[in-house]
Amino acid sequence: MKTNPSIYVDNGATSFPKPPAVQEAITTALNEVPLSPGRSAHRGSLDAARILFTARERIASLFNCGDSSRIVFTANVTESLNIGIMGLFPHFLGPGDHVITTPFEHNSVMRPLRYLEQTADLSISLLSLNDKGEVDASSLFPLLQENTRLIIVNHVSNVTGVVAPIEEIGAVKGKALFMVDAAQSAGVLPLDIEAMNIDFLAFTGHKALLGPTGTGGFYIKEGVDVKPLKRGGTGSRSEEEFQPGFSPDRYESGTPNTLGIAGLEAGVRFIMETGLETIYSHELKLSTKFLKGLIRIKGIRLFGPPADTQRTAVISLQVEGKSESQVALILDREYGIQVRAGLHCSPATHKAIGTFPQGTVRFSFGYFNNEDDVSRCLNALNDIAAR
Amino acid sequence: MKASSCVIILFSIHFVLKAEKLLLENNISIDVIPVPRSISSDCGMAIKYSCEETEQVQDLLNRERINIARIYTCEEDGDFIQVNGG
Repeated sequence: MKTNPSIYVDNGATSFPKPPAVQEAITTALNEVPLSPGRSAHRGSLDAARILFTARERIASLFNCGDSSRIVFTANVTESLNIGIMGLFPHFLGPGDHVITTPFEHNSVMRPLRYLEQTADLSISLLSLNDKGEVDASSLFPLLQENTRLIIVNHVSNVTGVVAPIEEIGAVKGKALFMVDAAQSAGVLPLDIEAMNIDFLAFTGHKALLGPTGTGGFYIKEGVDVKPLKRGGTGSRSEEEFQPGFSPDRYESGTPNTLGIAGLEAGVRFIMETGLETIYSHELKLSTKFLKGLIRIKGIRLFGPPADTQRTAVISLQVEGKSESQVALILDREYGIQVRAGLHCSPATHKAIGTFPQGTVRFSFGYFNNEDDVSRCLNALNDIAAR
Repeated sequence: MKASSCVIILFSIHFVLKAEKLLLENNISIDVIPVPRSISSDCGMAIKYSCEETEQVQDLLNRERINIARIYTCEEDGDFIQVNGG
């Protein structure tokens, strides 16, 4: 019964495969460059620093950021969000202050926020959803208070692929800081820190930016005072025992993941050469075909935005009479289809869409999936639902 | 007579590489060198260029908002004399 080759449709977790240029960049860096950037004064150290510099410039360009020193590298978007949130405490975001966020946040936002709520008396409000189940930007204004210090919005839900209206929210954010979690959107949807009025943008390297795991980062607007979570050697101002105050050195203590960032640079280069519009259109074509096919299968319950609306290729569903983990296991063992079942580290979203605590089966298509993959997923679900 | 050389110190390797890119794009001949020990105990890199171009170098860096830490002239006896900033 097992069919080959297997189909990977878990790109919301991590993109797979990566463009060949990513592997080439990593191999070249590993074989030809000593990877400690800017610490020593020899050419190898300079070459390593150039890897980071080139990646920073490219990512700045992808986000329309004119000053690449405002792009900081981290190990992943969770680290970026933790720096962004915890780094504001308590000098900017103090006890009793107010934060506005959405019902669609990942735990990498909700856990730091709930921690501050529990330990520092922070209050949290959630934006409302409109009748289409999207975050309603017009619900922001009535929630704004004198002590609203921070607005955090997940650009794209990792459960349903629904897109938040970040440009509209940025336009009416008032004096609060506007932080965007671009984990699921960077590399698929346009991000413009100027037009969207974003103060802090957290991204990951290994999802739609097509880099390896262990890479991520953030953009931080000049003048926004986020404290670093770690302090140490930066290769700059070595005569001083105090952390440099300028970006990116303020946040990048310790030898970075130069190897991973070499791969990330190649991933972002691939995206820019291919074009965001091309990538988005391809993924939309796949999600539309999948959604239209699913509607014809009896016993499938769908969540999130319908076909032909703005959405990413992340689709959540349930199969009547079968548990999510059971469906995922059958897909993997019998059909070679790799999906993710459960709560996707986002209990808040599952509560909002009515699928808590059982969760959903999530299919997330990527640029390297094709229409044949979609057909095979539909055929498999057709079989499973009929059992 | 050979034009004298100047050395510009920036705040970190990121800005050295940013300045290198900018100056080369503007056809200014430069060399990225280790910061001379007699200038700073820092472990970073600096940019060496011909002193005749100091004004243009400063203008370009200011325009791109690359902060200059210090500029030195390289003297014949191996000394460095600070000419700006600090």
